[in-house]
Amino acid sequence: MTFMPERAAFSVQPAARGALLREIALLAAGLLLLALVIRVHWMADFAVFFILVLSFDLLYGYMGHLSFGHMLYFGAGAYGAALWLVYGNASAWAALAVGLAAAAGMAALLGGVVLRTRGASFALINMAFNEIGHFLVQSPLAAYTLGEDGLSCTADPLFGAISLYEDRWAFAFCGAVLLAVYALLRLLTRSPFGLLVRSIRENESRVRFLGYDTFRFKWIAFVIASTIAALAGGLFTLVQGFVSPRVISPFGNVDVIFAVLIGGAGSLAGALIGAAAFLAIKNFLPVIIPELSRLLDVKLPQWELWLGVVLLLIVFSLRGGIVGTVQARLRNRKPAGEAQ
Amino acid sequence: MIQTVVYGLTIGAILYFFSVGLALTFGTMHIINFAHGMVYTLGVYLFITFLQGVGQSFLLALAASLLAMLPVAWVIERFVIRRLYGESLDYAIIATYGVLLIGTDAIKMIWGTTPYPVNDPVGIAVPLAGMDLPVYRIAVVLSAFALYGALRAFFRRSLVGRVVTAALEDADGVRCLGIDVDRHFSIVFVLGSALAVLGGVLYAPISTADPYMGFHILLLAFAVVIVGGMGNLNGTFFAALALGMVMAVTGRFWSQAANAMVFVVMALVILLRPKEAH
Repeated sequence: MTFMPERAAFSVQPAARGALLREIALLAAGLLLLALVIRVHWMADFAVFFILVLSFDLLYGYMGHLSFGHMLYFGAGAYGAALWLVYGNASAWAALAVGLAAAAGMAALLGGVVLRTRGASFALINMAFNEIGHFLVQSPLAAYTLGEDGLSCTADPLFGAISLYEDRWAFAFCGAVLLAVYALLRLLTRSPFGLLVRSIRENESRVRFLGYDTFRFKWIAFVIASTIAALAGGLFTLVQGFVSPRVISPFGNVDVIFAVLIGGAGSLAGALIGAAAFLAIKNFLPVIIPELSRLLDVKLPQWELWLGVVLLLIVFSLRGGIVGTVQARLRNRKPAGEAQ
Repeated sequence: MIQTVVYGLTIGAILYFFSVGLALTFGTMHIINFAHGMVYTLGVYLFITFLQGVGQSFLLALAASLLAMLPVAWVIERFVIRRLYGESLDYAIIATYGVLLIGTDAIKMIWGTTPYPVNDPVGIAVPLAGMDLPVYRIAVVLSAFALYGALRAFFRRSLVGRVVTAALEDADGVRCLGIDVDRHFSIVFVLGSALAVLGGVLYAPISTADPYMGFHILLLAFAVVIVGGMGNLNGTFFAALALGMVMAVTGRFWSQAANAMVFVVMALVILLRPKEAH
């Protein structure tokens, strides 16, 4: 009898199921709380960013593959949906499906190529493809995408009643998708597949030595991460009703990478907290700083400088991001309290 | 035709000036150093400021900005790069990108976001094959060839150069000989930064100075470093000139595609390269 490790049970421990429901409830409560604190108008965008960051965490945090080209798939999802809405019909579902299918197909194809590299080469070859995608949208396909001018599109209301151009509905819809994505990734990362993906991050040769076809697992994880990014892109199109080459620009990658790192890579909660912290830095500092500088009567630098300072802090003193630091603190405290 | 060739060589020369430092950091420490873009941009802005101070003398302002950037480069090496030694790729990226963001924002605060044009310091063009060829561009290309020769001599003859050449091959091996690689490396890091400033200043009259110029050349220089063989200094030179030509030739027929074509070449090189370097 041959040992087939890949057939190992894809089971979820019964105990985990209750925990999953609790986490989903917690996340939903957190989203609602956030919606109360800030304007609902921003919440759909925030949820889209959360989904994108979660997808990147699977690729980078769990599998250890840093990519500078994740926005390619976000952009493919966004443009796929927008092009369908403009040249196909006005169905939001069909638009989402087209965006997902386009990105998944691209990821399946390019994944076979980029995953032959790793480390810096992997990061930069993804950036190269992202740059090429950005260029394609900007120039050769400008007849369809209208290049820099961007593409406006409108989708029919969902189920004939829910208009995504209404802030509350947009937030409800994107929030629900976010919860679903969280649940999916939570199940995936706790499954034996998730364990394998994490093992690949730690030491790929040893995983291969155990008899696993690591390339296949990396490819599957890459396609899943890219498709979820495309889902975020598709939602972006539906909510905004407008896409421009900015959604596929390689510069967007930096935001995603930093969000994951600020929170703590390799944990879904970390990715979400990091995304929230990043959005806070990016959206609120530009509002607060001019106020503060008027109050103190000094010229203060803009938010980018503060983000730079935060990044240096993360690398040199808060390793593991917010979640990692808190966990380390708790772990250090435990032995004292639980002394036997 | 000749104009395209000269343009390609000019771009290649600038890319070479910039990429040397990047290739050195990558070859010795496996760090993708985003802070290099900040050094480049800040150097150009200092140059523009000094230019008004020294009565528009191009060479004096260039020398002053190079001198002013040496301590800046040293501080980056001492307090950021050196502390990243042995760190994973991603933490090095984050930290150096943090430096780039801080630098870019400081530049925007001090000089504003409007692009600054810089005059051609030579201002003479020679007629060649029915077209006017700026002497300045020819000078830039020649200086890149001179730099290539000088660097070759430096890395083969001088002690610092030889230590670093050996460390590019096998840093641990050199350390086992009791040689302090980091100290030698910091000299070369400052040298690489100075070359980036030189490249930036030489490029300023051809383009304009804006706070994000460092970001744009970084992406292209990554391609140069990858195509040149990640830390291979000869390879960096030829890759820079080759990619400069790719940009010029593509740009002649399809101007928007110039940058994208560089990345097509880079993707092809990564795929066709026989063995994974790192």
